[in-house]
Amino acid sequence: MRKNFFMFLLFMSAVFAVTSSRAQTVKITGTVINKETKEPIPSVSVLVKGSASTGGYTNNDGKYQFSVKKLPVTLVFSSIGYQSYELEYRDITQKLEVALSPSSTMGEEVVVSASRVPEKIMASPVSIDRINVNSIKTAPAASYYDVVTNFKGVDVISSSLTFKTPTTRGFGGSGSTRFNQIMDGMDNQAPGLNFSVGSVIGLTELDVESMELLPGASSALYGPGGMQGTLIVNGKNPFKYQGLSFQVKTGIMHTDGRSRVPSPYHDWSLRWGHVVNDRLAFKLGAQLIQAKDWLADDYRNYKRLGTSGNIIDGTRATDPNYDGVNVYGDETSVNLRSVLNIIAGAAPFWADYVKTLPSSIMVSRTGYTEKEVANPNTLNFKLSGAIHYKLTDKVEAILAAHSGSGNTVYTGSQRYSLRNLVMSQYKLELRSDKWFLKGYTTQENSGSSHNLTIASQLFNEAWSPSSTWYQNYAITYLNAKMNGKNEADAHTYARSIADATRPVAGSATFKNLFNQVIQKPIPQGGKFLDKSDLWMVEGQYNLKGIINFADILIGGNWKQYVLNSEGTLFADKKGAPIKINETGAYVQVAKQIIENLLKVTFSGRFDKNQNFKARFTPRVTALLSPNKDNNIRFSYQTAYRFPSTQQQWIDLNVGINQQLIGGNKALWDKYNLTSNNPYTKESILNGTNIRLPYTEAKPESVKSYELGYKGLLRKKLLFDMYGYYGQYTDFLSRIDVLQTTDGSVPALANITTYPAYSVIVNLPQKLKTYGWGLSLDWMMRRNFVINGNISSDQISDVPVGYRSFFSTPKLRTVLGIGNTGFGKDKLLGFNLSWRWQDGFFYENDFIQGDLPAYNTVDASFSIKRPKIKSIFKFGANNALNQYYRTAMGNPSIGGLYYVSFGYNVL
Amino acid sequence: MTFFKMINTDLILMLNTKSIIVKHGIEADHLKQKKIKQMKRTYLYNGLRLFILMCTALPLILSCNKELPDATSITTAPPTGISIGSMLNDASYSILKAAVTKAGLTSLFADSTAVLTFFAPDDAAFIASGIPSAAALAAFRAGQLDTILRYHMIGGQAFTTSVLSSTFPNNYLQSNFVLAPPSTTLPPGLRMPVFPGKGTPGWYLNNIPIKQGDVIASNGVIHKVAALVMPPSLPLWNAMSADTALTYFIAAINRADSGTAAPSRLQDAFANSAANITLLAPNNAALKNVLFGSIYSSLLASGMPQATAFSTATTLAASPANFSRLPVASVKGIVVYHMIATASGTTYLPNVRIFSPNFPSNSYLKTMVNSSLAVHPGIIVQSTFTGPFITSLKFTGYGTFPGGGTPFSDPPANTVAMDKHCINGIYHVIDRVLLPQ
Repeated sequence: MRKNFFMFLLFMSAVFAVTSSRAQTVKITGTVINKETKEPIPSVSVLVKGSASTGGYTNNDGKYQFSVKKLPVTLVFSSIGYQSYELEYRDITQKLEVALSPSSTMGEEVVVSASRVPEKIMASPVSIDRINVNSIKTAPAASYYDVVTNFKGVDVISSSLTFKTPTTRGFGGSGSTRFNQIMDGMDNQAPGLNFSVGSVIGLTELDVESMELLPGASSALYGPGGMQGTLIVNGKNPFKYQGLSFQVKTGIMHTDGRSRVPSPYHDWSLRWGHVVNDRLAFKLGAQLIQAKDWLADDYRNYKRLGTSGNIIDGTRATDPNYDGVNVYGDETSVNLRSVLNIIAGAAPFWADYVKTLPSSIMVSRTGYTEKEVANPNTLNFKLSGAIHYKLTDKVEAILAAHSGSGNTVYTGSQRYSLRNLVMSQYKLELRSDKWFLKGYTTQENSGSSHNLTIASQLFNEAWSPSSTWYQNYAITYLNAKMNGKNEADAHTYARSIADATRPVAGSATFKNLFNQVIQKPIPQGGKFLDKSDLWMVEGQYNLKGIINFADILIGGNWKQYVLNSEGTLFADKKGAPIKINETGAYVQVAKQIIENLLKVTFSGRFDKNQNFKARFTPRVTALLSPNKDNNIRFSYQTAYRFPSTQQQWIDLNVGINQQLIGGNKALWDKYNLTSNNPYTKESILNGTNIRLPYTEAKPESVKSYELGYKGLLRKKLLFDMYGYYGQYTDFLSRIDVLQTTDGSVPALANITTYPAYSVIVNLPQKLKTYGWGLSLDWMMRRNFVINGNISSDQISDVPVGYRSFFSTPKLRTVLGIGNTGFGKDKLLGFNLSWRWQDGFFYENDFIQGDLPAYNTVDASFSIKRPKIKSIFKFGANNALNQYYRTAMGNPSIGGLYYVSFGYNVL
Repeated sequence: MTFFKMINTDLILMLNTKSIIVKHGIEADHLKQKKIKQMKRTYLYNGLRLFILMCTALPLILSCNKELPDATSITTAPPTGISIGSMLNDASYSILKAAVTKAGLTSLFADSTAVLTFFAPDDAAFIASGIPSAAALAAFRAGQLDTILRYHMIGGQAFTTSVLSSTFPNNYLQSNFVLAPPSTTLPPGLRMPVFPGKGTPGWYLNNIPIKQGDVIASNGVIHKVAALVMPPSLPLWNAMSADTALTYFIAAINRADSGTAAPSRLQDAFANSAANITLLAPNNAALKNVLFGSIYSSLLASGMPQATAFSTATTLAASPANFSRLPVASVKGIVVYHMIATASGTTYLPNVRIFSPNFPSNSYLKTMVNSSLAVHPGIIVQSTFTGPFITSLKFTGYGTFPGGGTPFSDPPANTVAMDKHCINGIYHVIDRVLLPQ
């Protein structure tokens, strides 16, 4: 892989060979200050009017400098939160001190992701939400990533403190394969997992300039995967954002000692952006987050049936077959009767007694709670850097590297402890005002990450193999019964004897043995080995100036997944990774049909995955603007998703007699499923006994219609609303099947004894989703802003017996109030937001069940000290410390209280 | 409550502000403007305050987040009825009650969490067993009573007679009388087995009739037995060796074992306390006949005159040691033909304990001969009941003595001593030797 990477660099360097010479003549320098506070304003864009890129930005002292070829020029000063200002510069004696007036930016923000060209947010043809650098600074959320939680229609599933998965319009889950995240122009997915690993990798907090969220289908522009939406996080250009800044955030969690003792939260962030000269600038960033993670502590009993199941009554003490939600190792379950029968064979004097016992006495091994097996230390270290070099006035070359590492926990079909995970991304990009060309790669190394369930099960096997354990249990159980004990007491006694030498969690023996188990890859151990890579080359050209009857954009990409798990996760072999190629091309045509009233845009995208037929996804949008402050948007969008890399190639033993396999025919052949078709578990349970033949999995797709309206009233009240309807075809899902050696119908009584496979199927039914959202932002006097939103998502037409994994509340709302500057010299700020979501039935491969409604309050208060360029912030996430969970089986999230000191982040 | 109060105060403030604006309408314009401006500010301020309060208060007013529920214990309905211990307060159980008290088993029978099948001897049963009153229990040590009573119970299951309905073989269950405590290695805890089962007239524990079955208690079930069911004290080998009626049989077994090393000898099986064997043991007279006959016929065959052969054979047959003169194989064949066996897979094992009421009348039973000759028809059983008791138990062998007769044509062997119960089996003494061929 390393070799590949150097080849890649070489290739991209060749692209760089386009150089040019420039003649500089006049140097322009000056300062920009705030008209009201007289403080210098950093990062103000100073641009020569009429040129696309001649100009510069102010540094932290409000100073700027750049060169132009000749005078006079008209300079345009602009910055978010200030009125733009134009100045004609005639000769070098002219003093260039400019004072900008703060102004409302409501509806003025510019978004790029909705149409891949800059446009005012008011005029976006599809729903979009954006937050800028100022909002991130004052947000009460402890991490910038959490800010999206407050957008309308967004669900964020927290698998742990640092592993959060946002999604929109349903199908929420820990690790959503239907939601794209693009960080700094790069797809943020872990190639082996097909979903973003949250904030583990990506931009450091101080390096985020803005986030744009596109809810709903967005494949037409961003390629396969964006069925539910796309989140785009943009980094700061070092030319614009200069100087050294840092932020120290220290907090406290677990204040009530409910699940852990009170423990500190640390989040240290550093960024240095430096302009070397007109052409060269670079940036460096680092961030370290360290805390004791939230704890998944649902100890209710779960009746598991393949990947499905339900919460039932029972505790470890009262159900011999107890399988706690967040208790691992107790998934191993054996019919004690089968063990007793063996014993009866060896000890005939017990045979008649055994004969009188029930035919099924299910007994599970004793598990360990998540607290006992999962590393509580969440650690996330991010390091990033980029060099920006202006090859010409218009062409900028960027070489960027991001690396993230650490420990976190995520929920898949089980809970996974990601330990010493390292993900790195490298990008080389050429960018002009009209086009870009970039290549990047994502290199993943799962380190010593492991599956907590499998690791705990195998840990149990390591200290006492089930063959021995169940025998001891059975003998003790029989003896206890024969001694006159009732069933429950006999089980309790039997467990206490079988577990007599069970290592105590946290003891030296425990740690030693557990570490041995997680060092070995699945299925011998709990470790999952994933060194998969992603390679991507992407380009786009705006034909403006060449074709003028409409705005036309063309682009294309090539993507390659290299799945490398050394056979532990995928059906690959050591040294022979599986490669999956995808190519795509798109075109977008935008035309003002009626000047300033109706704009119609058509986008189309063509994608081919080597394992699947080519797909075409169109998008049509129309924007009706009776005036600049009222915009009605309509869109028809399509999106689709190829089966994820795991859905294609996974080959994972997930417990006794359970194999998770991908949809590729090679895997069906491997397990002889093509010639000896398995029976669906569902059909065995309901007596219809249906065999499942091999059918090639198709990409799933969605068609979505949306109507929206954005309005701005007196530049003070911004409202945005939408309603959508979506239809899913060939929805990708998994079902459990059973195979018998001779193809006979599996016997219901022995249903747990057959080899079971979880296979990929396309649901034959069309699923429908629909929903709406409404948001209001009210800019009041003295910088007070009140905002609120409410949104709803629903699904229908889910056939009985199928699970859609929609897992989304019917209703959710956010209410907030904030002020970016009040008090003397407007140095104080605060934010308060309240979020509520309704309860719903949460479906997941791991656990499904009723997730109760919850509400939570975030609050922050900040004080600026401009003299030392600093800001102090006091914040609280979940201020009332009202524990809530975002998904079944996921941690209970409590209050996080912090203070932060930021230097040069004003 | 506090939040409501605060909100109320704010509402009142807002209302007041409005009325002030109206009331002071006559004031000078500039003053009015200024005041209105102030009022508006106050209004705005109060509005904000209200909003903040609402934002803070809403979550409290609406609801607290539902705390993650704890796992719910499975509760089983407490058993209904009275315990076995309480049932023993009945007057008909006075001797048993005294025995239980003396044995220290009161708490076990009263334990509501226990599950027991108890074969309870009432006073009549004690009297039938020679214990006429509670006072007579003085002859027993507490430990003896504990052992005897535990032998009457099966733990962990409340077996009703419907479960115990098997006629042949009967149920081989473990009583509460522990022979070897359980250890973590096999063999697991060994208890003195008991054999509830069904005979033609009714249910039995071992050979003792059950007078009344299925009295359901909160902690188990009681079956009334007609007499005390005494636990055996010796293994088969020891018991038969001490039985003077079986001197010849012991000698025959020794002869059958000659040339075979321990622990594969028949004697080892009879001494193994974990075994479960039913033997039809021919008495001395029966075997003496066979010994005499064999010697006599072989002497005649060797050409000895009849009278000499008769007297020599008579002399030799008087000593059981002279089984050594017979071929091992034929003695062994005779001995194993007296061991009842049942099919276990493709082979036959001596793995049943048949008390007299358990013998299926007018049917064939397999023997250990079948382990080497699977098609052998076995032996014929005939039993006669008078009331719940067996009054006649007869067995007919395949062979005839002297040889050459029609199969099963010899007169049957009568059982002269029934139900000699041992730790590892049972033997019934019969008055004729059964011949396999």
